[in-house]
Amino acid sequence: MFIYFTRRLLYLIPMLLGISFLIYLGLELTPGDILSYLLPPEAIADMKPEELAAMREALGLNDPFIIRYIYWLGGILQGDFGYSLASGVPISQLVLERVPATLELSVAALLFSTFLGVILGSISALRRGSLLDNSLTIFGMIGVSIPEFIFGLSALVIFALQLEWLPVGKRLMPGYDSYWDHMPHLVMPAMVLGLIMTAGVMRYTRSSMLDSLNKEFIRTARSKGIPEWRINFIHGLRVALIPVVVLIGFRLPMLIGGTVIIEQVFQWPGIGNLFVNAVRGQNYPLVMMISFLSVTAVLFASFLIDLLTALLDPRIKLE
Amino acid sequence: MSADQKVLSVKNLKTYIYVNNRCNKALDGVSFDVYRGKTLCIVGESGCGKSITASSITQLLPKLSRIESGEIIYHSEKGDICIDQLERNGPEMRALRGAEISMIFQDPMTALNPVYRIGAQISEGLKYHSKNTLAQLKQISIELLQQMGIPLAAQRVEDYSHQFSGGMRQRAMIAMAMSCKPKILIADEPTTALDVTIQAQIFELIDELKQRHNTAVILITHDMGVVAELADHVAVMYMGNIVEQGTIDDVLRRPAHPYTEALLKSIPILGKGKQQQIIPIQGSTPDPYQRPKGCQFEPRCPYATEQCQIFPDSQPISGTHEALCWHSEKVLSHA
Ligand SMILES: Nc1ncnc2c1ncn2[C@@H]1O[C@H](COP(=O)(O)OP(=O)(O)OP(=O)(O)O)[C@@H](O)[C@H]1O
Ligand SMILES: [Mg+2]
Repeated sequence: MFIYFTRRLLYLIPMLLGISFLIYLGLELTPGDILSYLLPPEAIADMKPEELAAMREALGLNDPFIIRYIYWLGGILQGDFGYSLASGVPISQLVLERVPATLELSVAALLFSTFLGVILGSISALRRGSLLDNSLTIFGMIGVSIPEFIFGLSALVIFALQLEWLPVGKRLMPGYDSYWDHMPHLVMPAMVLGLIMTAGVMRYTRSSMLDSLNKEFIRTARSKGIPEWRINFIHGLRVALIPVVVLIGFRLPMLIGGTVIIEQVFQWPGIGNLFVNAVRGQNYPLVMMISFLSVTAVLFASFLIDLLTALLDPRIKLE
Repeated sequence: MSADQKVLSVKNLKTYIYVNNRCNKALDGVSFDVYRGKTLCIVGESGCGKSITASSITQLLPKLSRIESGEIIYHSEKGDICIDQLERNGPEMRALRGAEISMIFQDPMTALNPVYRIGAQISEGLKYHSKNTLAQLKQISIELLQQMGIPLAAQRVEDYSHQFSGGMRQRAMIAMAMSCKPKILIADEPTTALDVTIQAQIFELIDELKQRHNTAVILITHDMGVVAELADHVAVMYMGNIVEQGTIDDVLRRPAHPYTEALLKSIPILGKGKQQQIIPIQGSTPDPYQRPKGCQFEPRCPYATEQCQIFPDSQPISGTHEALCWHSEKVLSHA
């Protein structure tokens, strides 16, 4: 098992190399002087043209493409992601500033949707055909089909503007910065995002659970005379969870990449928001680097999914 | 026979299944007794209600089904229990399942939970029916698996079901079923999914356990050879009725119902050579929703007469032998 996963982890390296190569190709091909991506703007502002030319030479910008790529990759590995075209701030700094906000929102929504989705989905399956099941099914369908921004905007209008229970978007009020002051701001985006994600988890858990409750091992369990909750949850839900974990795993990249629409609607200062602004400002290096990070997150998430399913499902052979 | 101790009496049991608002009278008045330390074999064509009979006893029936009338009485050491009166998955029913009456199913490939270790699954019922510590439970699982003839049991209890072969899984199922030393063991075609060589071993194991623990066994099978080998009593089912039952000699040597007679002629007997005449039963089983008015076998029966339009009374042949046929005398003399 350990060997399998070490190997699986090593396979990530060529994939990441390939992707980084494409990203660098993109960086070089996009309009604008690559120098302004590689150097802080103050440094460029102070330089005379011949100094700039010398700088190009020194930075190896006249070297063959592959050498330039290797230098760039070396920088990435040391945490040097280059500079944003718009502000000249190092990209790593821009991203790092946004990570806490994105993590906070994504973790809250992921946890919320996972717990609620699994609980509601299994109740729905156990009470199949009941009023509760049917209402949950309808809510679930609304949840997956309603566009995020409509749901988000309606929530804003109702809870922030009409009822004034919760603040309108943003993460922090000026002047308040204790951690608990974030909370009222977090509630609405986390709930909206969480509820939308709950719908999917719930539908998926329900069908997976119905499937596993129909399996013969459920009848075997029942023939032992053990309590119903044990049959339903320890046997039924446990087996049903395996595919659900895969679904949830596919959402892990959100922890890094953020969620574009919800962050936009609530003006949540996360990476999704940063990404949108970068696209709008044609800040290509920033767009590329965020994409690179997101893709990396997707790759690691798929690795994690494999690891988790192997832990949950002993049938998976790892040789 | 009277010296034998009854552990289970089923009287005029009617279990109906409802599918698409139609009623399938899967069991339409089934009566039989099960005796301590004896094996009752239930035979009959596919769909005749063998499995429904078995699952009525433990109330592990399909959701849309109901025991309409009749009685299932379990003669426990503490007095009689009317199983048909118990709430389907209620505490009294659960107290019987696994502990007093346990089941083995047809397909051991799917009957075990794939995500739990074999040992834990073997002792799961015992955990609820006794007061054992986890360490004791594990020890018991190992011993049980050993008794089922699985080598290196101490290691194998840690395995998952996919690491077991079909035969081993069925042994694990039997270990599970025997874990609480039940009074009645119901095996519903326990070897249909297994290799022929393994089948004999599994039957041997069941028979050995029956003798060691004096368990009553209800064995559902298609294999007449197995019936001849293991059964003390035989019940032949057709379309939701037991058409003939009696001791093994009664039924196999002196069949009194045309269906039994036809059934015995339709299967080859091992060792009788190539010359034996195999006559398939003519016609096919009727649609369970459009049953014949009277005797269910009448449309296929060579003995059928006008009288057969009326549902037959049970005809006692001897003290132990009865048949559900107006013409049982004729069938008897024919053989
Ligand atoms: N889960 C179910 N849902 C609906 N009808 C069922 C179900 N199980 C059995 N039946 C019906 O009940 C009747 C008796 O079926 P049963 O399973 O007892 O047959 P069987 O004798 O065990 O046959 P086999 O030898 O094929 O196992 C049949 O008409 C069958 O269609
Ligand atoms: Mg059956």
